[in-house]
Amino acid sequence: MLWVVLALVGIAVWRLVWGYPPHSHAALTRADAAFVAGASEAMFPAGGEIPESGVDAGIPQYLDTYVATVPPRQRVLMHALFFLMEHATVFFPAPPPRGWRRFSALSAEQQRVVLEGWRTSSLAPRRLVFMALRSLLTMGYFACPSVMRRLDLHPAAIDTPVVEADLLYPPVGRPRSEVRYGPGDLTHERPGPLGPDAPVHPDYRGDAG
Amino acid sequence: MSVDLRQAGDSAGEIHVFADYDRDFNLTADAVVVGSGPCGAVAAYELAKAGKDVVLLEEGPPIIPDEFALDGALSMTRLMRDAGLRTTRGTVMPTMQAICLGGGSLVNSAMCIRPPDFIFEHWCGDYELGVTSGGDLKPHFDAVGDFLGIVPTPADVLGPRNELFARGCDALGYQSEPTPRNVRGCVGSGECFTACRARAKQSMDISYVPAAMKLGARVLTSVQVQRVLTRGARAVGVEGQVVAPFSGARSHRFRVEAREVVLAAGVVATPVLLKRSGNLANESGQVGENLQFHPGVSVMGIFPERTHPRFGATQGYHSLQFLAEGFKMEVLWAPPGVTAVRLPGMGLDFKKRLAWIPYAAVFDAIISTKESTGRVKARRRSLDPVLQYRLHPADARTLQHATHELVKIFFAAGAHTVLPGVTGISDEMTSLEQAQVLATAELRPGQFTVASTHVFSATRMHGDPRRGVVDETGRTHGMDGLSIVDTGIFPRSPGVNPMFTGMALAHRAAGAIAERL
Repeated sequence: MLWVVLALVGIAVWRLVWGYPPHSHAALTRADAAFVAGASEAMFPAGGEIPESGVDAGIPQYLDTYVATVPPRQRVLMHALFFLMEHATVFFPAPPPRGWRRFSALSAEQQRVVLEGWRTSSLAPRRLVFMALRSLLTMGYFACPSVMRRLDLHPAAIDTPVVEADLLYPPVGRPRSEVRYGPGDLTHERPGPLGPDAPVHPDYRGDAG
Repeated sequence: MSVDLRQAGDSAGEIHVFADYDRDFNLTADAVVVGSGPCGAVAAYELAKAGKDVVLLEEGPPIIPDEFALDGALSMTRLMRDAGLRTTRGTVMPTMQAICLGGGSLVNSAMCIRPPDFIFEHWCGDYELGVTSGGDLKPHFDAVGDFLGIVPTPADVLGPRNELFARGCDALGYQSEPTPRNVRGCVGSGECFTACRARAKQSMDISYVPAAMKLGARVLTSVQVQRVLTRGARAVGVEGQVVAPFSGARSHRFRVEAREVVLAAGVVATPVLLKRSGNLANESGQVGENLQFHPGVSVMGIFPERTHPRFGATQGYHSLQFLAEGFKMEVLWAPPGVTAVRLPGMGLDFKKRLAWIPYAAVFDAIISTKESTGRVKARRRSLDPVLQYRLHPADARTLQHATHELVKIFFAAGAHTVLPGVTGISDEMTSLEQAQVLATAELRPGQFTVASTHVFSATRMHGDPRRGVVDETGRTHGMDGLSIVDTGIFPRSPGVNPMFTGMALAHRAAGAIAERL
């Protein structure tokens, strides 16, 4: 009996921690990062109407930044979401062969089928979990300048005017002595309507780093 | 060590930011206003204008344009409580509350719409109110409207999305109009929800708050009010702690003693604060009860020609055609990553739909619920709220009606495909006949994907002190020196976007407070 228990514990430990590639993320765990990379490619495979894949678009890096930024309670929920979907193949396996492996170890086609199962499930909570994941991945995909540019959805360049209130507030975390503007900086001419062909925001230009 | 800031040389009309606090401190004032959103900012300004010594407290920091994030999700992590990921329990519904100087006015679409008189007639009749008719409130709406320069959205920044909505409404014979907004010099960037880089939106941080400071109001940011101080049945001040921007890490303690405590912390935070302060002003048992939202549904339509959706006022056109039936329709645009979330599918199929966005417009409807209700509770040993809400099937029928009307407007405007966003029916509709299911099916609340940023009524006004928390001027029943001026005092839905009504009521409340002081 003891051997059976030890074997089960061993399998569980192996499944949970073994074999994930090393990485340099700030907030995502190694398991999170492996799951997010797989899910990004399943959700946004290369090709089609927008050439960039999820990984090309930098979704894992974006989510690493995002998870690091949200408050602790939300961060725990996001880790829980990634953990759940990484290991839920025990209960909702992918098609053979070895469909019960963790999500990140499945083939690309198996990952696609698993996510499709969550999306079309008759169980509302499963669909809700899928929606949460897809929301995170989609926001990451649209943070990519080349995706935004390709869809003509990039922000426009705007010469932000200096208004009276800008003489009052310092940057966040800095003291009042570091307010950037004085009365001489006030803008007297306001920008006009942008129109659909307004110039692209510098961060979204093709030559932007 | 604690120090009195005034004795230490603090001067009127200044703003204090996180980096300025280096010790515990105490202040005294005629009135302390908690919350710098639209209602609190108006109250602070009007009290200062009446010659009162005002302290305005805000938990969030001031945000300057260099710090506006263009990415919707990252913007929300900085400007919204819980990173913009707050949801109700029961019916799971996203809802957002801002945490920055100016509150929600920094990140809303600036819609300033007066409810029609019949809304206030219902309020007066159902909640025993004597002086809250449309006529009673007109001077207060006018005063706020004049101050902020509220005018209908100009034609040169409508852009195709708003024009298509107007075209669809015209084709159906429905009333519609450019939306009045508190904007001066809109450039049509469509970025209202991530703060206005053109500095055109007259959010409170660039309008009422600086004006209050010019009149001598002291503004303290990055301060979290944790308790209302009382002496017997009278509020005498507030106390709390300095909190770091974004992380919320707590440091120095502070106390503000005042003859009037004016709560404008928001519909969610104000009831929690009252409960954490010893269940104040709650002889009626109504604090935190009667929570109301405007559950909203959105529908996307795809047109043959490009709509250039990133250009044009975020929400520049609306229709009050069905207000009496319980819903208002309007144009909507959000950061593309947020807009894309509502599209169905995954994989290459999903990408195909994403490529439709440059040809798309989104219209939404907000409904005034009749049966749905909820509650704000305080999380144990915390100022964090728990929001419980349940969408009633009767109100789901109104959502169904609204969705059907939005689909009709899209087809009337020339859309070739409409995505109604309702679970259990077709993802895509290409004809009005297909949309007929929205008129005939019996849809359940869970089939609608709803969200709401409009919250009200958790500290509602009522003429009968046993059934409400405040009177018509925001003064709490049974507690002297304590007023509430946020949209929590609405007895029920105003039918339209609540900011303007909230500011008008705050304007009236400030006048009443100034008379008492």
